[in-house]
Amino acid sequence: MSNLLQVKNLNTSFHTEDGVVRAVNGVSFTLNHGEALGIVGESGCGKSVACLSIMRLINHPGKVEADGILLEGNDLLQFGEKNMRSVRGNEMAFIFQEPMTSLNPVFTVGFQLQEVIRLHQGLNKHESWKKSVEMLKMVGIPHPENIAKEYPHCLSGGMKQRAMIAMALSCEPKVLFADEPTTALDVTIQAQILQLMHDLRERINTAIIFISHDLGVISEMVDRVIVMYCGRVIEESETRNIIKDPKHPYTIGLINSKPQINEDIEKLVPISGSVPNPLHMPSGCPYHPRCDHAMEICAEEMPEKTEVSSDHYVNCWLYSRKGGQIINNE
Amino acid sequence: MNETIIKLENVKKYFPVRGGVFSRVIGHVKAVDDVSFSIKKGETLGLVGESGCGKSTLGRTILKLLDPTGGNVYYKDHSIFETGKEQLRSLRRDLQMIFQDPYSSLNPRLNVGEIIGESIEFHGLASGREKQEKVEYMLEVCGLSPHHHRRYPHEFSGGQRQRIGIARALSLNPEFVVADEPISSLDVSIQAQIVNLMEELQEEFSLTYLFISHDLSMVRHISDHVAVMYLGKVVEICGKKELYYNPLHPYTQALLSAVPIMDPDSKSNRIILSGDVPSPANPPRGCNFNPRCRYAEERCRVEEPELREINTGHNVSCHLVEKR
Repeated sequence: MSNLLQVKNLNTSFHTEDGVVRAVNGVSFTLNHGEALGIVGESGCGKSVACLSIMRLINHPGKVEADGILLEGNDLLQFGEKNMRSVRGNEMAFIFQEPMTSLNPVFTVGFQLQEVIRLHQGLNKHESWKKSVEMLKMVGIPHPENIAKEYPHCLSGGMKQRAMIAMALSCEPKVLFADEPTTALDVTIQAQILQLMHDLRERINTAIIFISHDLGVISEMVDRVIVMYCGRVIEESETRNIIKDPKHPYTIGLINSKPQINEDIEKLVPISGSVPNPLHMPSGCPYHPRCDHAMEICAEEMPEKTEVSSDHYVNCWLYSRKGGQIINNE
Repeated sequence: MNETIIKLENVKKYFPVRGGVFSRVIGHVKAVDDVSFSIKKGETLGLVGESGCGKSTLGRTILKLLDPTGGNVYYKDHSIFETGKEQLRSLRRDLQMIFQDPYSSLNPRLNVGEIIGESIEFHGLASGREKQEKVEYMLEVCGLSPHHHRRYPHEFSGGQRQRIGIARALSLNPEFVVADEPISSLDVSIQAQIVNLMEELQEEFSLTYLFISHDLSMVRHISDHVAVMYLGKVVEICGKKELYYNPLHPYTQALLSAVPIMDPDSKSNRIILSGDVPSPANPPRGCNFNPRCRYAEERCRVEEPELREINTGHNVSCHLVEKR
């Protein structure tokens, strides 16, 4: 496995009238060929903005800065808008959260699929139509010839999401961003879509960046997890380590606050307080006002990335040499 | 403690579908069709189902926020559906609701004190200084600061707003509260706070909840009994343990197996349902669930199953329970 996508020190900020919102703050990660990476966090933690920044889909007043966003060694930040257009859809594709609003209501599903294929693969009208129908068939839509002629409002939520997946995969991208692709769907439909994405991943060797707030979905879909809080990466490791042996107090809190369907708990353990206002971030570690283990240093200085065990990184003073003491979590 | 507080008898809510030149009624959407169950004092009934199955409509119909099409609901000895407007108003003091969306269920032009105080004054429980004290007490009980009463809803986060909604519902000392997806619009870390608050308040004020949700793991946590709805009908209702350990209806089985489990070691033997939920305006013949059911036989396509007791307190509407 080699590096497919490498993001170095990504910063995205929005300059609003009320002040500067730093939505993404020094995010770095690498994605290998065929790997599935999960990004977990609550709403407003910057997970979607990070991915949109990589695709360079952030507009004014947003500003993207980074030491590099390298796709197979090419820095996307150096690309002009025209080159970027050939990257989007072709090399990198995006599945949005809301299938209801991300399809154009005035064109047929087939036409919208065809557009992508014609633009990126230079097929003619007839060939691209055939390919669109084929793609719809691949994502498990019944009677794809007929459905391709339908408008989005005729399709149910699950079917629209299938159509979105078909569109994203139609040019066999190297990287697929899936931004909460099942959040707007019911559980039984979610199960269908997750199964589909599993199968497709085995068939075409696409690397996936899977964004979700649901650790259950994440643990089933991805190999590696990044946990984000207030625009920063706070923990990173293999999925198993994050679920079975979380280190950062926030990750532990996130896991404990959600009951599992297969266990009985006497009392839930919530995280106290709420996510801080992005305009007034607390000093030091952004989690310290809600953290049970907060120390003096937490309010003063940003914790550095520490390797707690092999390939398990945490940004927390509890585990850093400078922070001193190391706790064991039960 | 074991008195029945709410009893539903064949509750129906149909929405007319109009069409044609004179907008005549050409059909009905059977949002809630023939639902019967009862809730005992101090208990929580979890009502689960996918979107569009009629669970919210049922919650609103029980409190007569929507006009029922048929059936009856009894609160203690009073029939809610047959009570006149005036009396219903005083009855509503005991029957309150917590709404799903904390952003749209609070009037943005009133401050928190007015939002909570309005109903206290309306029902003649208190006024003036006394009302003020009651509002501050409720805010404190619900985990907010008493001096928040001068603030407006936009100054609060989603979780705090939901606390205001809860304070408003509980300010009248109700007996029965319908909580319509109270946590689904909140972040994961906040959901647990609200659920814990609801549990604490239940103990303190001996409340009875109808907890409507699509989050099966939260329902497992908070409920004593669980009812599963599909296309306007209750397909299975029983004690919590019974439902999660021994689900009998094929839909319940699929629904439970579809929830992703946070465990990299768990082997998923997931039942994937094919297709979508049919339109409630045009439900399938026979058993509602037959087009997606993996066990469906000829009988299921013709005859509608009735909710019947299979084990003690475990009611299922499926022809084939014994066979499988």
